[in-house]
Amino acid sequence: MGEHVVVSASELSEGDRVVVELEGREVAVFRLDGDLHAYLNWCAHQGGPVCEGALTGTYESSYDREGNEVSLSWCREGEVLMCPWHGWEYDALTGECFSRRSVALPSYPVEEVGGDVVVTL
Amino acid sequence: MSTQTGRSPLAENTVVDVDVHLRIPLEELADYCDEPYRSTIKRPTYTAVHRSGWDRYMGGNIQKESLPDAETVYRKVCEGFDVDYPIINAFPVLASVPEDDRAVNMMRAYNDYLLDNYLDEYDNFRGLLSVATQDPEAAADEIDRMSSEKRIEGVYVLNSGAHLPLGHPDFDVMYRAAEDHGLHVAYHASAGAPFARDFPIQDSAINRFMATHVLAHPWAHMLTVTSLLVNGTPEKFPDLNFSFLEAGLSWVPYMMFRLNKEYGMRRREAPLLERSPEEYIRDQFYFASQPIGEPNDPRHLERILDVVGTENLMLATDYPHWDFDHPDALDRHLRQFYPEETRAAVLADNAVEAFDLSI
Ligand code: FES
Repeated sequence: MGEHVVVSASELSEGDRVVVELEGREVAVFRLDGDLHAYLNWCAHQGGPVCEGALTGTYESSYDREGNEVSLSWCREGEVLMCPWHGWEYDALTGECFSRRSVALPSYPVEEVGGDVVVTL
Repeated sequence: MSTQTGRSPLAENTVVDVDVHLRIPLEELADYCDEPYRSTIKRPTYTAVHRSGWDRYMGGNIQKESLPDAETVYRKVCEGFDVDYPIINAFPVLASVPEDDRAVNMMRAYNDYLLDNYLDEYDNFRGLLSVATQDPEAAADEIDRMSSEKRIEGVYVLNSGAHLPLGHPDFDVMYRAAEDHGLHVAYHASAGAPFARDFPIQDSAINRFMATHVLAHPWAHMLTVTSLLVNGTPEKFPDLNFSFLEAGLSWVPYMMFRLNKEYGMRRREAPLLERSPEEYIRDQFYFASQPIGEPNDPRHLERILDVVGTENLMLATDYPHWDFDHPDALDRHLRQFYPEETRAAVLADNAVEAFDLSI
């Protein structure tokens, strides 16, 4: 338990990530949309290194009953974290899994303190 | 492979993985082929083995792993997954080779390649010889030829795109050879071209790989199981065991019970059978765990395991394919629901029995 400096803030630009080992756990810190996010690098599916996966987008779709039309749109580009093992998708901004509503990546408090990025476990 | 520290519970057990695939480059395989096939493979019109064009790797965002050499198999599967005995298949898609004679030549090449480059390299490696179903006689000859290799434990049969359903009497020569040499028969389906080409025409309207991938393996296995039972193949070859790789388990209860029911009503159409289809399945058929089903309530998986029977179940990872299962995907259910003895059976003993493994 405690606070850990993982990287200096200037080394983590928008869209970057860093994966570090803290107290025997692999934790990743992302800077996305101006905010920091820290998650456990352990996919809820089968334990794959999810935080090393691509930041991509995903499809959303809706059905218009009246017009009997399905619309399909590519969205959230750069905000969907995809596990490199089997492709489970997570919202990189919240850690929530897109295909399993009750699942989310464990997250940790992370902030900038005096030019450093600090994660609290 | 684990990203978190800690010792895997599998490290203490003997673990057999019944489905490990290679990626053998066709240029290298060509050197094991005779002319004119060698030149055809080296300078194909399109590709030497027709593959599908699906977006398997989701734009390259999921890893396209491969096991290009024996050392990688050892490092990733044996060390990474705590597997003691990987049963390796060359994963040839021979059913997609349009010229029957070339398929036969490539079959021999795949088997020689597997021996030279993998099975001779590590003492704990075991392998399946591949057969070309285009020519059952040649398949039988190949089984004879390979049967003296002590690390060959069974016969790998691709059952997508086989020209006839695999219980057809044309294949009896092949089964007889396998039984004569005490070799197990393992069926493996493919979501590639053979499924698209040879299954019902509705397949061609599928426009997402997910749909193809969900259906390809169980459909092929359902056809194979049905064909074997209606033709009485397990009755003809009572010492032969058959296993079904890469469709998981949940399809099995449906088939056992449906076949029982039909047999009750239409016994005269499967007159070789002396017992119910379910009994043959329980006695001679084995099922590999991958892809393990993912019910929302994990207790439902326990019920499936109970119905299929843990004595018919074998661990498989399907590594290194993109849809592989980490061994823990099955083992966590075994640890939760079953005594250690059952767990040990599923992790290794059943495969030892099914393949009569020399370990
Ligand atoms: S381990 Fe992450 S998708 Fe399977």
